[in-house]
Amino acid sequence: MRRRDFMKISGSGAAGLLAAGAFSPFSPALAATLRPDLVVAHGPQPDRATRAAIEAMGGMKAFISKGDVVVIKPNIGWDRTPEQAADTNPVVVATLVALCLEAGAKTVKVFDRPCNDPRRCYIQSGIEPLAKAAGADVSHVDDRKFREVAIPKGEAIKSWPLYIDVLEADKIINVPIAKHHGLSRLTLSFKNWMGVMGGTRGRIHQNIHETLVDLSTVIRPTLVVLDAVRILTANGPQGGDLKDVKKLDTIIAGVDQVAVDSYGATLFGLKGSELGVVAAAHRRGIGPVDLDKLLIRKIEA
Amino acid sequence: MTEPVARTKRRKPPTSKTVWARRLSQGAFLLLFLFLFLQTEQKGADELGYPAKLFLDFDPLLFLSTLLSAHKAAAALWLSLVLLAITAVLGRVFCGWVCPLGTLNNMVGAMRRWHLTDRPRGWFRLKYFLLIALLAGSLFSLQLTGIFDPLSLTVRSLSLGIYPAFNYAVNSALDAAYQPGFQGLTSAADVANKVLQDTVLAFRQPYFRQGALMSLLFLGILGLNLVEKRFWCRYLCPLGALLGLTSRFAFLKRSVSEGCNTCGLCDKDCQGAASPGTKDAWLASECFYCFNCDDPCPKGAVSFGFSAKKAPEALDLGRRNVIASALTGVAAVAVVRANPIFKPLTPQPDLIRPPGALPEREFLERCVKCGECMKVCTTGGLQPTLWEAGLEGIWSPVLVPRIGYCEYNCTLCGQVCPTGAIRRLSLPEKQKTRIGTAMIDKGRCLPYAHTTPCIVCEEVCPTPKKAVWFERLTVQNRAGDPVEVKQPHVDLDLCIGCGICEAKCPVMGRPAIYVFSVGESRSKDNQLLLDAAGPY
Repeated sequence: MRRRDFMKISGSGAAGLLAAGAFSPFSPALAATLRPDLVVAHGPQPDRATRAAIEAMGGMKAFISKGDVVVIKPNIGWDRTPEQAADTNPVVVATLVALCLEAGAKTVKVFDRPCNDPRRCYIQSGIEPLAKAAGADVSHVDDRKFREVAIPKGEAIKSWPLYIDVLEADKIINVPIAKHHGLSRLTLSFKNWMGVMGGTRGRIHQNIHETLVDLSTVIRPTLVVLDAVRILTANGPQGGDLKDVKKLDTIIAGVDQVAVDSYGATLFGLKGSELGVVAAAHRRGIGPVDLDKLLIRKIEA
Repeated sequence: MTEPVARTKRRKPPTSKTVWARRLSQGAFLLLFLFLFLQTEQKGADELGYPAKLFLDFDPLLFLSTLLSAHKAAAALWLSLVLLAITAVLGRVFCGWVCPLGTLNNMVGAMRRWHLTDRPRGWFRLKYFLLIALLAGSLFSLQLTGIFDPLSLTVRSLSLGIYPAFNYAVNSALDAAYQPGFQGLTSAADVANKVLQDTVLAFRQPYFRQGALMSLLFLGILGLNLVEKRFWCRYLCPLGALLGLTSRFAFLKRSVSEGCNTCGLCDKDCQGAASPGTKDAWLASECFYCFNCDDPCPKGAVSFGFSAKKAPEALDLGRRNVIASALTGVAAVAVVRANPIFKPLTPQPDLIRPPGALPEREFLERCVKCGECMKVCTTGGLQPTLWEAGLEGIWSPVLVPRIGYCEYNCTLCGQVCPTGAIRRLSLPEKQKTRIGTAMIDKGRCLPYAHTTPCIVCEEVCPTPKKAVWFERLTVQNRAGDPVEVKQPHVDLDLCIGCGICEAKCPVMGRPAIYVFSVGESRSKDNQLLLDAAGPY
């Protein structure tokens, strides 16, 4: 039985039961081996929600092997505080760091190439102090460490300087925050990779959707965790007005960026296909876009 | 029998404890100065954690000249009265024991192993004339003291010249180690990079206009020590002159006992050219209290002690010289002001001052060009002016957004300004302070001129309700196909002129959006709208 079929049979009720860890009408062994396409964990505590989401995805050990060098890439783009929802929630990042280390990772690197002053972004977002405390190697981007990377399947860009640490990592975890954006409507997991682009990356806005899909052909995250603890609904991507912030207490985990972003769109009342990048990815045959066909596990944490 | 000592080199007598104490003090203060200098940088929060401008706070010359020019002195500058009081009692101990520039001069002077002349030039009056000219100018609102003030000069030279060059040198060495050809070096370079980054390197390579000039001037001052040791301190330093005048009745005095045969050995070691060798000609105002004259005296005739007796020799500058110096200072006011930038109602479009800067006239009365604001500027966008603000505004801060914008949540420049030329703003106040207004160049902007999407200026605009907004349009490209573009507009009510749009505009070279000073909160006249009050 393929998991999509399973999803169709079981329906959402079964997913709820699975989430609660209760008795499944189908073979419990089968249910345990099935990894959902997406886990949507809801709960007031970001650390618990994050842990529950990863657990429901099969546990961090399913993604991280002993001795791995892991890159966790949050959005630390702006000089804003967690309440302003312009950067990834620091507790979510720190929890993922801890989970990776618990799963045996050798090193967990955390970095971003921010738009505002990096020192301010790292501190004000809360990510540097919390991720460091969790054991991460938090560093600022060093301009020397970009390498020109060919993008053979690229449609908008054929090569771009990308950060070496990402290219050399054993495993990559993408941890974006869900935000409004003036051009791409939303910034979710695809757009988060702008943070490892060197050079004059502002130019990519001229063809942003195709560029982001191009990037996804060379940067393949093992795991994608979308932070929707707080989302920014307007004046993104940096916000600044608390009136534009909505608290959802939600963590979405998956392995496919298209799936994650498609679901992410629904948080803002949009359909995935309304996002240029999701549409472009779909057109180019990268990832699913139809949420009805995905196995989505919703859990309370 | 001949005296063998006369033919061999003079043996140096042992260095006394007092001289060692002085050297220790000089080293400690120099290190403190450099430490505070390195702390004058953004660290991620809106406070520095250290009193970065401490040395400037204790500078009575800056105190006095801003008091004269602006009729007001920043609160912290009153600390400088402590230094005046100390000098009144102990003489110019600051010059000999504390001043970081004095110590650097001392160090370079010690490298001078040849003797161009054994006799000091005796030009010590020069610095008094300079001081008088500067203060006379200040009295008539001209603030040029900071150009010559040793602390201001040192902070400025290090900030804008020496330190950027140092960073460049170290970074270049690291760059070389990171080259692919030197694979083995990379990990060593990583370690070195980390250690240096955490200690002495700037977070980002600083780049300053006129950086080379700043370095050359400073190295020139240090180089003068090879002409004559402590040339600057003896002949040019206006702070030294002010302290010299203050020390006139100092109680700590040098006395020479009857044993002195005026052999002149002490003259060679005197730091300040205070003529210690001629028994009664010792000049208290020129003495740095370095205690060098004590050690070499073969007769042990020199001693220092407290005494209320009148100093043997009083400083005589000459009445005519004093008057001429003062008049020069006053005349300078008129000379620098007859400049079109002071023509009423002609504000300078590119003179974007940091947030909290006082109205231009008052700003110039206070700014001592120390460079603290430029050193601390988070993005490095604050640059020294050359002629943009007139000769009196030379080396004052101007924001050049293409080099670095004004960080929205940062108020550091106002925190380190020693004279209050840049007011210390609270963060909410700063976020509503306009330093200028952004304007769009439709001939260069991609959505306007080239039917190409781009939204970077809107994306980076930091005001909670963005000052850059879009007009959605469907335009035709060359092939006649419809293209949807979002054309940016600037909301004049909301724009604070921070310049991040200009800094990040992807149109390379001349950007398609740029900031002018028009609309700046500090000016009544430099406004665009009839109702310039706006929501702020």
